[in-house]
Amino acid sequence: MTQAPVVTPAAETVAETHPEDVLVLEDVRIHDDLSDTELVHGVSLRLRRGQVVGIVGESGSGKSLTCRAVLGILPELIEVSGGSITLLGRDAATLTRRDWTALRGAAIGAVFQDPASYLNPSITVGKQLQEVLRVRGGLSRKDAHRRAVELFDSVHLRDPEQVYRQYVHELSGGMLQRVLIAIAISLDPDILIADEATTALDATVQAEILDLLAELTERLGLALVLVSHDLAVVAQLCDEVLVLRDGHVVEQGPTARILHDPQEAYTRLLVAEHEQYGLERYLGTTADAVLPTEELNRV
Amino acid sequence: MIKVLLRLPSARIAIGVLLVIAVITLFGPVLAPYDPLQGSDLTLAPPSAQHWLGTDYTGRDVLSRILAGAPLSIVSTLEVAGIALVLGTIPGILSVYLGSIFEWVSLRLIDTLVALPFLVFAVAMTALLGNGITQAMIAVGLLVAPLFYRVARAATLTVAQSQYVEAAVLAGASTGWIVRRHVWAKVLPPIAITLATTLGLGLVVISSLTFLGIGVQPPTPTWGGILASDLDYLPQKAYAPVFPAVIILVTVLAFNMLADAIRDAAGQSGRVLVGARAAKANRARRVAA
Amino acid sequence: MRRSRGRRLAVSIGKPLAVFVPVFLLGTFFTFLLGHLSGRSPAYIQLGDAATPEAVAAVEHEWGLDRPFGVQYVDWLGDIFRFDLGESWFNGHSVAEVLLDRAVITLSAAGVALVIGVVAGFALGALAARFHATWVDRAVTGFTTTISVLPPFVVGIALVAVFAVSLDLLPAAGYVPIEAGLGPWLSHLILPAIALSFDTVADVARQLRDGLVSTKRENYVTGALVRGLGPRRIFFVHVLRNGVGPALAVLGLKFPALLGGAVVTEAIFGLSGYGVFATQAAIRGDVPAVQGVLVVSVVLVVLFNLVVNVVLNRLAPAAARGV
Ligand SMILES: Nc1ncnc2c1ncn2[C@@H]1O[C@H](COP(=O)(O)OP(=O)(O)O)[C@@H](O)[C@H]1O
Ligand SMILES: [Mg+2]
Repeated sequence: MTQAPVVTPAAETVAETHPEDVLVLEDVRIHDDLSDTELVHGVSLRLRRGQVVGIVGESGSGKSLTCRAVLGILPELIEVSGGSITLLGRDAATLTRRDWTALRGAAIGAVFQDPASYLNPSITVGKQLQEVLRVRGGLSRKDAHRRAVELFDSVHLRDPEQVYRQYVHELSGGMLQRVLIAIAISLDPDILIADEATTALDATVQAEILDLLAELTERLGLALVLVSHDLAVVAQLCDEVLVLRDGHVVEQGPTARILHDPQEAYTRLLVAEHEQYGLERYLGTTADAVLPTEELNRV
Repeated sequence: MIKVLLRLPSARIAIGVLLVIAVITLFGPVLAPYDPLQGSDLTLAPPSAQHWLGTDYTGRDVLSRILAGAPLSIVSTLEVAGIALVLGTIPGILSVYLGSIFEWVSLRLIDTLVALPFLVFAVAMTALLGNGITQAMIAVGLLVAPLFYRVARAATLTVAQSQYVEAAVLAGASTGWIVRRHVWAKVLPPIAITLATTLGLGLVVISSLTFLGIGVQPPTPTWGGILASDLDYLPQKAYAPVFPAVIILVTVLAFNMLADAIRDAAGQSGRVLVGARAAKANRARRVAA
Repeated sequence: MRRSRGRRLAVSIGKPLAVFVPVFLLGTFFTFLLGHLSGRSPAYIQLGDAATPEAVAAVEHEWGLDRPFGVQYVDWLGDIFRFDLGESWFNGHSVAEVLLDRAVITLSAAGVALVIGVVAGFALGALAARFHATWVDRAVTGFTTTISVLPPFVVGIALVAVFAVSLDLLPAAGYVPIEAGLGPWLSHLILPAIALSFDTVADVARQLRDGLVSTKRENYVTGALVRGLGPRRIFFVHVLRNGVGPALAVLGLKFPALLGGAVVTEAIFGLSGYGVFATQAAIRGDVPAVQGVLVVSVVLVVLFNLVVNVVLNRLAPAAARGV
């Protein structure tokens, strides 16, 4: 949030690559071969170091598929059928399995909803972080341990030594999300994807995790893709927002403009819905975002 | 469910084989071309026009012995399964309804029966209790009973805890109606699967016991006994065990195929299996037309 | 932390103990009851059919068989805890001593069979899971289904007919102690062990395949992928470890069958282990000898299952917790 938001109008898809762009999606289409249907119909975005882009949309709108495409972990029989994904200047379509393994963790990391399920229940959480540091970071067992505790400390886990030795079932959802974040940033990636990372948490914990993500982007210069079905979450952190519905990009632009001056009825609906839940806190002024109620009914 | 079952090819094959075995069981001794106990000078003869499956070490006709051995082998298998069904299913269902003490005790008993090395106990029980085929069947039936206990208990538990039964009770349905409509539908398929499995297992165990000479006296022909006598003459006639072994295996395989087919027919996959085949046939017809 | 790890180990032993102590007590009681119900008596073995009632009573008194059932049972159970399994009615030998020699043979065969079951079962199961839903998977499944219906006595006879009689590659019968060399020992055990192992191979392979396939779909495997761990590491560290539970558990269930199968394989392969001993003793009506075999096998099963439980708990605490 330190840098000025880069305005990328949805129409202007082809633009020359900026050297600071860490992630560029151009008209990415995702296709399900089994049912022979297109699930995501052209998503474009560009992301620079330290910048935060938000993807909002209701459940089933294609947010997770887009993230999975970026991570190279689309489900079986689902493929990127059009457009291009460029990770740190490399075309994702040309990456081999080994390239992907090398990129994941070091260039791009991710955290998801339901953190408990993304950690191995049979291994202590500390060992799982230590494993990454050892195998990918090349640290010795002892150094990896020390670094793991440091990382746990840096994501504000209380008593990191204790957490290190605990199993998934011994930790709360908020703590587990911090653990996952610590693992995701352990190899100093350039990009972090947070797919509904705060969805299952209570309001206070959700706010804490968002604060942590904001702090990390600032401190580490991470580029963050923040995915949520909740506009309030995205509004708080993002420089730019992309609104998805049924796999289509409904609207895309700087957060302030999307919130204050939504062009599409669907976006207006999302904004209006949140006014009742205190979105105005992030809007600053509420005067020009007032919607007539009949507009809502038409959507 | 039976309709779905009969449309599965594997079920048809299994049932076909079992019908043949049933005929052999019912009429085997009558069909036998020779006296299964009468030896001759023609010992260890290879298969020929007179002796289709050859003769054994005392010159008895192998085909006749296999046919004559069928009733004892198959009937005792059926009785083993019957005994296990009764000894397992009834306590299994009761364990859900008779309170926690009966439940705990019956569960521990079942744990114990499962942990006992099966064949050693079957041999010990049969031989110590009088070494007759009845003793053998009771011993094996008791040791197999846990299979039915667990299945019946699990099925009864799901039924007892399910909301539709509660709803039916609240709606004033009679017990008989509930049992017919809901309980049977849930309990019967797993019991049928277990029964088919147990029949295969029972035949293996009964054959093992008769192979060891437990539960029957020597000249009496049984499939296991025929195998045992062939074993001693392997150097002279290495292929001899093939005949009794094949009939045991084919029967066991048919029981297992039937169990799998019932599982398919009762489960979700039944409709899909039948449906996929029907869809393929439809397409073929359309393309041909 | 040390305390919590200690507690975890205690729970991993304690919980199965709650199951297996009743199993041990019931199994041994069942064994004793069986001897009692058989109505066999040392008198007829020693005196023959011509025994007079007085002579029978005298012999039974000598063996303590005229005491009340409860007293005999408690006495017998107490002896078991002192490793005293009584004397054979047939020749007066100490059952425990005879069984010790014999159990070595049976355990050797069961042990080799177990190793074959684990190695072949794991290899086949892992192969099927690795190539899930391909022809490899179908071929492995077809193979395991086939071998699972082959009873040990049929497999045993086939192995003797092929490898010992027709090809003359391996000895058809007998046992050589391991002191005589690993080669001869194994060459005598390998065929009976293979015959015993089929069912275990099939079940372990099936359980491992299903366990691995369902584990591969777990989010934590995606998680490990996203962290940048390689496929081999993910398979061995994350998938195998969590997917192995059902296969290990089935091993505990199969062990009784491996011990029990001794009765048949020892008869086929001319091994004088405790299976053959049990058959002979049972036919002779030598109750203490039969009871000795049964008690030993119950104890072996209980011990083996305790070990399986501890291993399971160390390997996958979540699986052992029933999560
Ligand atoms: N594994 C899959 N197989 C088939 N369809 C899928 C799969 N995963 C997601 N989809 C479909 O893709 C669409 C978008 O899904 P997703 O990206 O998970 O939505 P979101 O994350 O926005 O809730 C949905 O309509 C869903 O049905
Ligand atoms: Mg999603």
